[in-house]
Amino acid sequence: MSEQRSSRAKVLVIEDSDFIHRLLKVRLRQEPLEIVSAHDGTSGMAMVHSANPDVILLDVQLPDISGFNVLAQLKADAELREIPVILISSNDDVETKVRGLDLGAIDFVPKPFNIAELKARLRSAIRIYSLIRLLAQRAQIDGLTGLWNRTFFDDRLTQEIATARRHKRPLSLIMCDIDHFKRINDEYGHPFGDQALQTIGTLLDDGRASDVACRYGGEEFAIILPDTDLNDAALVAERLRERFATMTWDGRDDLRITASFGVSQLNMTTSAANSIVLIQAADDALYDAKNAGRNRVCLHSESSQADTAHRAAG
Amino acid sequence: MKQLISEFASDPDMMELVNYFLDELPDRVQRLQNAYEASDVTQLKTLAHQLKGSAGGYGFPTITESAAELERTVLGDEAANASLAEKLEDLLELCRSAMLTDQD
Repeated sequence: MSEQRSSRAKVLVIEDSDFIHRLLKVRLRQEPLEIVSAHDGTSGMAMVHSANPDVILLDVQLPDISGFNVLAQLKADAELREIPVILISSNDDVETKVRGLDLGAIDFVPKPFNIAELKARLRSAIRIYSLIRLLAQRAQIDGLTGLWNRTFFDDRLTQEIATARRHKRPLSLIMCDIDHFKRINDEYGHPFGDQALQTIGTLLDDGRASDVACRYGGEEFAIILPDTDLNDAALVAERLRERFATMTWDGRDDLRITASFGVSQLNMTTSAANSIVLIQAADDALYDAKNAGRNRVCLHSESSQADTAHRAAG
Repeated sequence: MKQLISEFASDPDMMELVNYFLDELPDRVQRLQNAYEASDVTQLKTLAHQLKGSAGGYGFPTITESAAELERTVLGDEAANASLAEKLEDLLELCRSAMLTDQD
């Protein structure tokens, strides 16, 4: 689930002088770094978007827009503002440094630079960036199960709905609730209950790569299924239901832990195709599954009509 | 004219870089002269600035210092024009001394 990054960190050098580009390319050749180059601020900004660098070496004096201007643009963009920027300048006066650091640069290296010092500063910036990313990710991960948490789920579902609408692709949601979980906790103790949640979390995360499994609340889980219609989502839910119901638990041969599932599909035909409606629909179906005796998968009925409409529409 | 040799001349890893810098240097010298003759202050400033920022990295700190002197003079007031010619000549002299090495 965690975002994998290659072991070679990517350095974007925004600098007008070929002397410097060449110098860096050769002198950083032995480092675990991939170097990409831009010769002015405008192409530099474009490359930040396309190359997704781990650190930016930014010259203050550029032929088109100033390095300060590039820095300000980066810091104003929520997607890019965490990328560390090291200013490089042959003006090492206090005013330049203070302005750069106050604009959000992580460091300042005067030119001509000592290569050992520059390498150390690059390593430091890359280290800080990976910690920032780790923290950002931790804040979205459920500590017990390792699944995405509710905060992440809310954001991601909104994004996936927008994507589904834009590309006119189906989107489904599974809500899953462990049956009689309180009884399990009472009977076997909370440590075992926690262990059961972890195991179930691992199983939920073990599905198709594109599916997004989240811990929604106590013993309730949600799976976002992009590009998946109601019937296929129901198959996913049914596979999980069966797997839970047939699982044995260490030293408790007679114990079976089951779960109930509610499945809904985004209804494209109404303007109210938002996350609240989609969650409510899956919740209603989950409620039906509980009422019908638990350990089963129920589909949201209007979702299924939406699905028919979707298929008829082609 | 005394040869100006890169501080990295004895480092085989750096030879490729130093040679690259030296290959580019005649063109820089020419552009500096052209800019001065055309009284193109902006271009003079840019060229001086770039040499200041890079030469030291190729093992020529004296070129960096001299280019910094020139840049300071260009940025200064116009009364310093006489001094400008001097500073430029100092820098060009150093560059030519470095270029001698290449012709060995």
